[in-house]
Amino acid sequence: MANRKILACLAVTIGLLSASVARADPVKAGFITPSPIADVGWAHQIDLGRQAIEKEFGDKVKTIVVDKVQEGPDAARVMNQMITDGAKFIVLGSFGYFNDGLRAAKQHPEVDFIHASGYKQTANFGTFTARNYEGFYLGGLAAGMVTKSHTIGIVAAFAIPEVVAEVNAIAIAVHKTDPKAQIKIVWINSWFDPPKEQEAARALISQGADVLFSLHQDTPSVVNVAEAEHVRVVNTSSDMSKYGPNAVLASVTNDWTRYFVDSFRAAMDGTFKGVDTRGGLASGMVKVTAWSKDLSAEQKATISQAEADLASSKAHVFAGPLRDQDGKVRAEAGSNLPDQEIFGMNWLVEGLSGSLPK
Amino acid sequence: MTRTPWTIEPRLGGAGRSVLIAPVAAMSVTVLIGAAITSSLGVSPLRALYFLYIAPFSTLFNFGEVLLKTAPLLLIAQALAIGFRAKIWNVGGEGQLILGAIGGSLLPIFFNDSDSMLMLPGMIALGMTCGMLWAAIAAWLRVRFNANEILVTLMLNSIALQLLYYLVSGPLRDSTGYNFPQSVQFPDSAMLPLLITGTRLNASLLVGLAATAFAWFFVERSMIGYKLEVGGAAPNAARYAGFSETHAVWLSLLIGGAAAGLAGVFEVAGPLGQLQRVVSPGYGFAAIIVAFLGGLNPLGILFAAVFVAVIFVGGDISQTSAGVPYAVNTILQGVLLVSYIAARLFVDYRVRLRAPLRFERAQLQWRH
Amino acid sequence: METLTFVLSGTVIAATPLLIAALGELAAEKSGVLNLSIEGMMSLGAVAAFIVVKNTGDYWLGVFIGGVAAMLLAALFAVIVLFLLGNQVASGLAVGILGGGMAALIGKPYESATVPPMPSFPIPILSHAPVIGRGLFDHVLLVYMAPAIAVLMWWIFKSTKVGLVLRATGESPETTHAIGYNVLVVRFLSVLFGGFMAGIAGAFISIASATLWSDGLIAGRGWIVVALVVFGAWRAERVALGAYLFGAATIGQLLVQSIGVEVPSQLLTSVPYIATIVAIALLSMDGKRIRLNAPVSLGRVYREAH
Repeated sequence: MANRKILACLAVTIGLLSASVARADPVKAGFITPSPIADVGWAHQIDLGRQAIEKEFGDKVKTIVVDKVQEGPDAARVMNQMITDGAKFIVLGSFGYFNDGLRAAKQHPEVDFIHASGYKQTANFGTFTARNYEGFYLGGLAAGMVTKSHTIGIVAAFAIPEVVAEVNAIAIAVHKTDPKAQIKIVWINSWFDPPKEQEAARALISQGADVLFSLHQDTPSVVNVAEAEHVRVVNTSSDMSKYGPNAVLASVTNDWTRYFVDSFRAAMDGTFKGVDTRGGLASGMVKVTAWSKDLSAEQKATISQAEADLASSKAHVFAGPLRDQDGKVRAEAGSNLPDQEIFGMNWLVEGLSGSLPK
Repeated sequence: MTRTPWTIEPRLGGAGRSVLIAPVAAMSVTVLIGAAITSSLGVSPLRALYFLYIAPFSTLFNFGEVLLKTAPLLLIAQALAIGFRAKIWNVGGEGQLILGAIGGSLLPIFFNDSDSMLMLPGMIALGMTCGMLWAAIAAWLRVRFNANEILVTLMLNSIALQLLYYLVSGPLRDSTGYNFPQSVQFPDSAMLPLLITGTRLNASLLVGLAATAFAWFFVERSMIGYKLEVGGAAPNAARYAGFSETHAVWLSLLIGGAAAGLAGVFEVAGPLGQLQRVVSPGYGFAAIIVAFLGGLNPLGILFAAVFVAVIFVGGDISQTSAGVPYAVNTILQGVLLVSYIAARLFVDYRVRLRAPLRFERAQLQWRH
Repeated sequence: METLTFVLSGTVIAATPLLIAALGELAAEKSGVLNLSIEGMMSLGAVAAFIVVKNTGDYWLGVFIGGVAAMLLAALFAVIVLFLLGNQVASGLAVGILGGGMAALIGKPYESATVPPMPSFPIPILSHAPVIGRGLFDHVLLVYMAPAIAVLMWWIFKSTKVGLVLRATGESPETTHAIGYNVLVVRFLSVLFGGFMAGIAGAFISIASATLWSDGLIAGRGWIVVALVVFGAWRAERVALGAYLFGAATIGQLLVQSIGVEVPSQLLTSVPYIATIVAIALLSMDGKRIRLNAPVSLGRVYREAH
């Protein structure tokens, strides 16, 4: 009985599959994210990129999205299944898929991949990273302007270079607008533990922080606390001002739409090149939104000027002279810290106390 | 009125062929509930069933994935079952696996350009030792302080994870890898040979099968296995026969730690090829399910491991190809084990409704 | 917020869900049933409560439904281990997995959604006290109820017949049966109570402290609950002490970092687990004491004799 059912279903499915292949040829694009797709957060921004591709290419594309894929031995299988299902373009939404992605790209030269925050590229495997530190630099300027306690708190997920660069950018910026400010950091050592993130936020508030930075928390956990405790917060990934209308000072968001659409078009045209794409304020990949209404026109102008300078490369977040906390010179006066060092950062800038978790 | 309206008596003389009834019933229930949930989510149940249970066998790659998943489950479950039969509850397979992965990574990380033939054997030895040492903490605390091994091994799982995080973001991190929390890629000499090209299936399956043979021999033929089991069933009798609880605790936990450690080595020397923050998708916990699903019987465990591997692989496929949320897969794992345990009752015991007459007689006897 | 205020309020907020769930588990274990499905029951309670509050805005209805949802799961567990004679470890794991999966599935449409925090109930006069006012006496009602329930359970175990029967059932089900109580009914009710409490604990996290839902919200707290009961040597007052110590350790770990003391954060994260192991060892070392408190039949299948 069960057997016959299974056979029947097998036949039906094979029929369906072959029919769908014969009918039309939309190009399939796959998306893999580590966290569930929600209204806000990292996976949400990836999904907005997917929606942009659907909107742009209409019935010429069919997208497959798989969320909550662990960064372990299983990711490779999901990629393989997407390729089996005919995907010609795959977006890998987490660093943890890097090596599996590279292997899959090697085995399937006909499929083009783009991978978040990887550091190696091949002909059909490109990487993309947002210069979020530019956005957090602007957030840092604002934080220094509004803090009354001269204390800034950072709730940070993991001490990977991307996050460390953001912490450093915040410190540099805050000290520009408030040289007296102290910066305190709590590392959660988890990408996801909302109650712990919130306890960390409260711990920082208890130490006098009146502006918080929520670095890479996918949910509005820290924003919620900031709203309840009447402090300010700058958060990551999405505009979270609806969760903290009074608390959110700014949201540093990622906009992948143009990059995804361009990459997908290249994959369709056969002109895809596996390159490293790093976008910041200039390319619009990083957008700082949800600026608080409480910033004065003058303060807004200062920030806008800084934004324009960064976007036009007139200024650089990690411009020399730049020293680390041990006083070692990392960038000489007149030069900027090279990209390679920004994306491999494992040191804290002068003026930050504490050390990175080892 | 303190009695239930039924009686439950053990079936004497072994359950015989009826042993098969429970797993088959559990699998059928799981398949049916899977169909019910997916259709309520708007996915045609036939389509979902195909992706969940048939697709894992549909291509060579997928079948290779099933077997690749089977290997660690089999290895750990066989070892855990030895302890479970002796009523030693090692639920720390996950932590022991992580320690094995760490131990197994030391050689390829520090001798990254070595192509020595001794690389893999050395990794295996180190990994198994680390897994055993981790389990030995629980064994020692149990023997010396009478500390409950369920709780200690559970806590050790959490600590192992933090230890791994510490090592991959510090001492064992790839110094040329932009500080991402992962080790260098292992050299070829540190990788398990593939069994079938075009798949990721490696030699770990052979070791899993060998563990099955060993477990079968251990349970059915060896004196130690017998004593362990007696120790679990009747501690006093075992003590009388000269086999102490201390021995049972040490033996069970060390075997479990060694097997889980070995599985950890196979993950880093197999599909991963490096040490990273996630080395196991919960094999240590899934192996507990497998051990029970297999009725703590070596052959049963073999089939259970394959079935659970199919659920894992089918879950990924159905998520990708049919848009079935991953949570459904988690639910089905739970349903499978719940219904199996429920079904076992009717295999191991005879359930009879109490006849009213008998009930009165029982009460009369009670009064005497 | 001053440091001390934060330490106090942070500790009670972190400890409350652990304590509520641990008291429920304590009752179940006292009756002889080890329930390892707390994590899944807390998740289910959290999501059920969250959905109710999101849709109706009624917090107490949310707490109640959260408790009931987890209780239904506990009922399934109880049927398996009590009436179908399932192994308690395996059944607990299975039901826990099931609960976690159900919570993830039911909660999918609510992923990352938030609700306004449950209104707090400042205690008159006390809540105006400096430092401890905001620290201890300006919380939601559940925060004060948790230690009250602990005291109540301490009294029940110590001085009432209900407590005596419950303890006897865990110590020697055969004797309990012989003196005319139905072991299975006693255990069934204890497990249901445990489920209800775990559900409330989950509800506390989703609607009172985190005020959001996301898959994985409970993040291992269910396992800490299981450890707490042993940490507290199966005594309500010590379980309560353990829960607050654990809460304080969690908060201390974050506070130490925010002050800027340099300790590897992974080590700090591990401290509560290591402390639990040490406590288990120390408690168990004194054989006499553990025998006095640990339910003798814990984890064993009970089958009614003819």
